[in-house]
Amino acid sequence: MIEFQNVTRTYGDRVAVAGLTLTLPEGELFAMLGPNGAGKTTTIKMLVGLLRPTSGRVFVNGCDVARHPREAAQCIGYIPDEPFLYDKLSGREFLEFVAQMRGLDRRTRTARIDREVACFDLGGFFDDLTETYSHGMKQRLVFAAALLHDPQVLVIDEPMVGLDPRSVRLAKDVLCARARAGTAVFMSTHILSMAEEIADRLCVLDRGRVNFLGTLSALQHELALPRTSLEPLFLKLTANGDGEAGPPQQSGPSLTGAAEPIEGPG
Amino acid sequence: MNATYSAANPPRYGHLPSMTDESRAFQQLSFRIARTLLRQTFSQAWFRLSLVMLLSAILWGGLLWLFYDGFQFLKTTIPLSDTRDQAVRALLHMFFASLTVMLVFSSAIILYSSLFRSRETAFLLTLPARTERIFLHKFQNAVIFSSWGFLLLGSPVLLAYGLSVSAPWYYFLVLPPFMVAFIYLPSAIGGIFCLLLVYYVPRHRLFVACVAAAVSTGIAFWMFWSLASNPDGDMLTLPWFQELLGRLRYSDQRLMPSWWLSSGLLEAARGQWAESLLFLALIVSNAMLLRQLALWTAARTYRVAYSALCGLESSRRQARVVWLDEAIVRYARFLPLQIRLLIVKDLRLFRRDPVQWSQFLIFFGLLVFYFSNVRRFSHDIQYVGWVNMVSFMNVSVVGLLLSTFNTRFIFPMVSLEGSRFWVLGLLPVRRETILWSKFLFAATASMIPSSVLILLSDLMLEVRAPILASHQLTCVLLSVGLAGIAVGLGAKLPNLREQSPSRIAAGFGGTLNLVISTLYIVLIVLLTALPCHFYFALNGYVTLAAANTHWGRYFYLWLTLGTVLSILLAALATVAPLRMGFRAFRRLEF
Repeated sequence: MIEFQNVTRTYGDRVAVAGLTLTLPEGELFAMLGPNGAGKTTTIKMLVGLLRPTSGRVFVNGCDVARHPREAAQCIGYIPDEPFLYDKLSGREFLEFVAQMRGLDRRTRTARIDREVACFDLGGFFDDLTETYSHGMKQRLVFAAALLHDPQVLVIDEPMVGLDPRSVRLAKDVLCARARAGTAVFMSTHILSMAEEIADRLCVLDRGRVNFLGTLSALQHELALPRTSLEPLFLKLTANGDGEAGPPQQSGPSLTGAAEPIEGPG
Repeated sequence: MNATYSAANPPRYGHLPSMTDESRAFQQLSFRIARTLLRQTFSQAWFRLSLVMLLSAILWGGLLWLFYDGFQFLKTTIPLSDTRDQAVRALLHMFFASLTVMLVFSSAIILYSSLFRSRETAFLLTLPARTERIFLHKFQNAVIFSSWGFLLLGSPVLLAYGLSVSAPWYYFLVLPPFMVAFIYLPSAIGGIFCLLLVYYVPRHRLFVACVAAAVSTGIAFWMFWSLASNPDGDMLTLPWFQELLGRLRYSDQRLMPSWWLSSGLLEAARGQWAESLLFLALIVSNAMLLRQLALWTAARTYRVAYSALCGLESSRRQARVVWLDEAIVRYARFLPLQIRLLIVKDLRLFRRDPVQWSQFLIFFGLLVFYFSNVRRFSHDIQYVGWVNMVSFMNVSVVGLLLSTFNTRFIFPMVSLEGSRFWVLGLLPVRRETILWSKFLFAATASMIPSSVLILLSDLMLEVRAPILASHQLTCVLLSVGLAGIAVGLGAKLPNLREQSPSRIAAGFGGTLNLVISTLYIVLIVLLTALPCHFYFALNGYVTLAAANTHWGRYFYLWLTLGTVLSILLAALATVAPLRMGFRAFRRLEF
């Protein structure tokens, strides 16, 4: 459902993502991990069409994102780390706009909006202007907007920021349910416990390169630390990624020998 | 899973919205946002709205009267209708050509920030919306934003012309379509310029834009100088106009839209319907063509340009210690250390945010340009009273600029401390110290440029020493008083929820600050200007009935009284708001 083909993205002379090759089948819940500046947000922005790869190609549902951004966007539901909402629209008006832009007809639109309102418990503030919402309320509305059109691919950048414990549980359940229903869920997060709990596969990105790609048990096996939680594994894996020691270990391909860690835009 | 799908296994994209659906969705979006904004403005910001409407109406009415008077003057000065028509055509053409250039740049700047720097477009680009539709949405907003000034300035000129020549009803009917269609031309050119700039030279976009702006400004200056240099003969006489028309011939460019606009409206004023409609059709068709060209350009360049701009390496800005910061901390020992440190902090925040100071740099630059040319205009008019009046008008203009500066930057300072009060609030600093530092910062930052500007203006006008001293005193009084009003009201009426200084300034408190500041400026200038005017009247430089009366003879009494009153007023304007602000700021809970 998602395919990165030897994707590299540079900012000036610096390499943000180096030769990323990755495939996600439908129904997989995939977590991308990495320290700050590892290239996670850049990867996600290339996936949703905001950035173009310097080289390589990104496909969503068989569609080249750079060449056919509309078709790709129609397959994707995107929840950014700092979601945008129109201050002067109510939650209902915002969802209606998104549904219209997704090409949903009036009847489907109403049904889907009702469904998401119920799912994310938006009823209490749905007709208020979004400028009055708390961060958690905004995040729930953005989840609802991303799921309105039942996307085949769900892309989430730091999904749990600002959510209360109940909403976090709800979001995790929704992501798992969507993945079970066949949606490919691509998630970037710093919350290792959540990745450990719900992700089918992990990718640890460091300095733009894939340090590890596989399941948790494969990681435990690779580092010879059976029955260890993800946090110590992650810290061990990225120990060289703080700019203090030598180059990171690498299991994925890379284009340049000396990629530097950088912070992508946003 | 790859790019090649067979006929038996087509990719599933779902139903993409049609162009009509997209259009409807964006129309509803704009309508709903506008409706909410209007509703909120009427219910929450009626004072500001009324004030803006009132001031706009006064300005518009004033311009209408001024231009009407100007056209009447032309009528009496140039009795030959052909020459008069030529003069009007040339003037309108020049006027609208200048506005066209300004509109190109303003729409390009607005579109740049809304297409490439706004979070809304990042959101829209992740939806299955057509690229050109996103551009169109932002383009229409940019047209509205960049054209209000055009309408405010352009409509009174054209209305005044129609009224002065008793144009037929048809003239007034075609006026709106002419103006609306005309606005689209520079806006579309600005949009295309912006897109191509970021598409082809994302890294050097600022440099290229600056070169283009410099070239345009250079051409404008050249034209200005060539017109302003004194023609032979007396000013504002028929030969003078004829020579001026000769100089304007080079601007008679029939391929320029401003020429089409002025010609079309002149034909309409003469009752030549068919000719006028021809020009209107020419402008409308070109507007449509350029709009379409802009959409076509956007469809091919916008996404790539957006990505290219995002892909530029963000340069890390290093904080440098400037000599001024060092000097304030080391040598301004007459101030407590905490106040010095707070002043340096505010100075650094101000200096490192170009949005904060760039517009004022432009304003002050224009004022310097104007002041340096004041003598040029006054050269032929050896009229002391006129010089005196102009010099006080200059003081008023500087005062109004200072009031805008204080409203826009000083008034929101206390509100902006709200979000970072965990720093100042936990330090062993008295709250009064914070306000004092802001007051001193504002007063000094206002005093230095305003005094220098007025000194420059007075030297150019060759005003007498007592008047020069009076102006310098006025500058000090204005700077101190306006700073007191802005800091005091800012502490009394803070908006702790808002992060944007411009929004804080646009709220009730900011508007009130602007009104009180304006009243203060008017009073101070009147108190210092009137005695000087009496002085000139007394000495026979100006005609003033009051000068010959018993009261008019006591110039020195008037002068002393005016100065004392203005100092008292300045003290009141400084102390009263500051005391009120101190009290409110002590009680404020963040």
